[in-house]
Amino acid sequence: MSAEIQTFREKYDLLGCIQCGRCTGGCPVTVRANLNVRQFVNDAYDESKLDELAKIADIWDCTACHTCAVRCPKGLKPLEVLIGLRTLIIESGKVEPTVRDALQSVLLEGNPWEKSRAARSDWMEGLDVRIAEPGVPVENLFFVCCTIAYDRRVQAIAKNMVKIMNKAGIDYAFIDENESCCGSEVFTLGEEGLFEMLIEDNTEFLNGYTANQIVTLSPHCFTTYNAHYPDLKSKVIHYTQLLDQLITDGRLSYSGELQKKVVFHDPCYLGKQGGIYDEPRRLLQKIEGVELLEFERRRERSLCCEGGGGKMWVESESKKERLAETRIKDAKELGADIVAVACPFCVLTLEDAMKNLGYEEEMRVSEIMELLGELFNDPEA
Amino acid sequence: MGNILVVAEHRQGLVRDITYEMLAIASGLAKEMDGEVITLAIGSGLDEVAKKIAGYGVKVMVIDDPLFADFNADKYQKVLSALIDDLKPALLMAGHTAQGVDFMPALAVEKKLPYVAETIALSYTDNQLKATRQLYSGKVNARLAFKQAATYLVTIREGAVEAPEPSSAASIEKIDSPLKEDLAYRKFVEYIEAEVGDVDITQSDILVSVGRGLKEDKNLPLIEELAAAIKADVAGSRAATDAGWIPHDRQVGTSGKSVKPKLYIALGISGAFQHIAGVKGAKIVVAVNKDPEAPIFSIADYAIVDDLFKIVPKLTEKLKELKG
Amino acid sequence: MKTIVCIKYVPDTSEAVVKVNPDGKSVDSSRFSFDINDADNYAVEESVLIKEKSGGEVTVLSIGPKQSDVMIRMAMAKGCDRAVRIEDERMALHDPVIVARILAAAAGKQEFDLILTGCMANDDGHMSTGVALAEELGVNHASMVKKLEVLDGRVRAHRELEGGLLEVVELELPAVVTIQTGINEPRYAPIRGIREAQKKELLVSNLDDLGLDAALVDEEASLVVLEELYIPEVVSTAEIIEGEPDEKAEKLASILVKGGLV
Repeated sequence: MSAEIQTFREKYDLLGCIQCGRCTGGCPVTVRANLNVRQFVNDAYDESKLDELAKIADIWDCTACHTCAVRCPKGLKPLEVLIGLRTLIIESGKVEPTVRDALQSVLLEGNPWEKSRAARSDWMEGLDVRIAEPGVPVENLFFVCCTIAYDRRVQAIAKNMVKIMNKAGIDYAFIDENESCCGSEVFTLGEEGLFEMLIEDNTEFLNGYTANQIVTLSPHCFTTYNAHYPDLKSKVIHYTQLLDQLITDGRLSYSGELQKKVVFHDPCYLGKQGGIYDEPRRLLQKIEGVELLEFERRRERSLCCEGGGGKMWVESESKKERLAETRIKDAKELGADIVAVACPFCVLTLEDAMKNLGYEEEMRVSEIMELLGELFNDPEA
Repeated sequence: MGNILVVAEHRQGLVRDITYEMLAIASGLAKEMDGEVITLAIGSGLDEVAKKIAGYGVKVMVIDDPLFADFNADKYQKVLSALIDDLKPALLMAGHTAQGVDFMPALAVEKKLPYVAETIALSYTDNQLKATRQLYSGKVNARLAFKQAATYLVTIREGAVEAPEPSSAASIEKIDSPLKEDLAYRKFVEYIEAEVGDVDITQSDILVSVGRGLKEDKNLPLIEELAAAIKADVAGSRAATDAGWIPHDRQVGTSGKSVKPKLYIALGISGAFQHIAGVKGAKIVVAVNKDPEAPIFSIADYAIVDDLFKIVPKLTEKLKELKG
Repeated sequence: MKTIVCIKYVPDTSEAVVKVNPDGKSVDSSRFSFDINDADNYAVEESVLIKEKSGGEVTVLSIGPKQSDVMIRMAMAKGCDRAVRIEDERMALHDPVIVARILAAAAGKQEFDLILTGCMANDDGHMSTGVALAEELGVNHASMVKKLEVLDGRVRAHRELEGGLLEVVELELPAVVTIQTGINEPRYAPIRGIREAQKKELLVSNLDDLGLDAALVDEEASLVVLEELYIPEVVSTAEIIEGEPDEKAEKLASILVKGGLV
């Protein structure tokens, strides 16, 4: 089932690269680290060099934001060469203990956070949540995401979705604790074998449900399902698309005010990889009082927050300012009160950066679902 | 029923606290078991050690022989095996320590006698000896009953009880070693002292200690800032040192150091007994842990049930402010 | 070098709430996540490192249910060659002497130079099984080992004593060595490796297969009876500081400064 028979060259179509350098030119990580993906694509051509290349720490700096893939004139995915090198390290077993533990946790407990599977639905406590039953048709089947399920800071995304769906009387259901990791970070960390296993198991599992569409709360799950799961029965959308559609159809509306300057930070996994830029903005503009600001580096040029690509488990060796801090400084310069995001990883990294810079009194980082939750009158802290 | 034989633990001329703690437990049981407590000291050049122990009011039996110049679990086993046959004690007690666990289980198998490891309490009523020990890092207690036997074997957890105060000097009796020859198949080579790092935490006045709750070493600066604000040294539990966040010579616990600061701040440490045993000497203990059932709270003077990341930054800030 | 490594499937209760079942003799494990015992994981890594250095093979031994097969396959993915898993309803597993007797029956069926076990299990913490195993087999032992060197027909073991002191001993092989955490850094077992490991032999045995009379290892045979499990009272004389996180932090700061503690 796996592509072991292909050579590295074939697998990543290294011959297709014309070494134009647009990839490295657009790579946000180069702002703070030495990562030169063009160079790696060039050097990887020599199969005998692969083991040596795999040992270079820079390969772990890639956030898998896909800017390089978006910019490549030949339609190649330079980042995948880096992921391929990571795979060599993974297969040797000699990885960072943090990476080891995260991957093992996905295998044993269905999430990378070393939490017990049995606790995955604990966030639902106290809420009136409709649970999906295999075979029972449902319009919107929600896929929560490991981080949103377990991390207290971002559980609000799921909780608020439940409240909004209930209030608006939309047909929906959530999966119980049998929901397993989509494998987004498993893929980017290079654990190919485990990722293939997840694709197989999750496809079978999700196809057991009868849903019009699967709605993901996280852009990571959204892109992973769309890019890597060819056999899913239902189509997969991101919640911003759902809410945007419901508003257009007149099935959802919200009132209430938020007199704030809000700048939207395009999550790489939603924008660059999913092409979704306008829906989140429309959702924000529909909130009365919101003055929507724009970063200079927006949409396809968004400055990656460095949450993806396995970065939650691997520290960069670079001592330069984290991109998330640069982003927050930009927001401060713009005079933004709120940095709005539509991704749990962006929430965590940007808020961390904001606290490190000491800006908590002047601004906050909020997921769109948190802002909408406030409007629906019972805010989830 | 019979006497209680306590195997003294000593090293490099010093008597370890567990010896006295066992005497406290044994003395409590002796009446019920209708016997007396005898401490057994095995070693070489033991005059000082024997005198020290005898000062706690319990008779000391000494085997003093160059054969036992260095600790050797197999030699201890041979001696104890012979003494069980000769003296027929009702209860044989050793510390649940690196020494004790190296010979007691083997002795139990060899003599086919009932054995309970890491006991924290013992009781003897109606001819029935029962032991209490713990499972799941102290979250559950287990009560075990020994089936009838001529001798019972137990190892006792360090720090389970307070050591008694010295009292009157009891008698010291030297006996011959039942073991006459060296054992070729197991040899002591040497001791290697623990690395002495830049800070000797056993001498620190204030310690800020971290455990598993730190999550990763990139969170250390937070802790270091707190420590700097109050001129504390940073230490850690075994989880923190195994993970490489804190150097080994700053590990607090039974396999690390015993500390006696006037203030011990435990952050994200669950408080497994191996750790708590190392904190016995602290005057004031502050514990921050998000698990309300964390055993660390049982030794804390001040407790905050919360995520350390929510507490530490503000704590540091406020301390800096108040100290000016 | 023929090595046997003994591993145990244990729950991770560091963050879990542990409840005792109504029967008073077991705990409710329905919400536990299970994995290889910490110290045993280090033992597996050590056995593979020894194999990589000195050649030979490693056999995994484990007493456990079918669910623990994944743990065994992971050990084999790391480099262990084969495994024996023992499953039988008649074993008195609360008693480390009994556990040792069972492991000895399995280990005794093959040639070995060295047996490695973790020094302590996270669930029952006896720190006794390895040493008892050595006695059952009539071989040498050293416990709480932080560093292990394989020499000619011997091993040199650094035993970790209290206070970080190391006691260095030399033992003639065959021997049982119980491994302390931190001796090495366990590697990751990639899925591909685990898949490959499916091809390796995992023999499931019961007591009859081991030629071990159940009467030697059942409840009757154990010299110790588990009477009751119960949740201890956490006697806390701690002053619990209440409020919102920021409030609590501030109150604590005040207490420490006003009390002259800092």
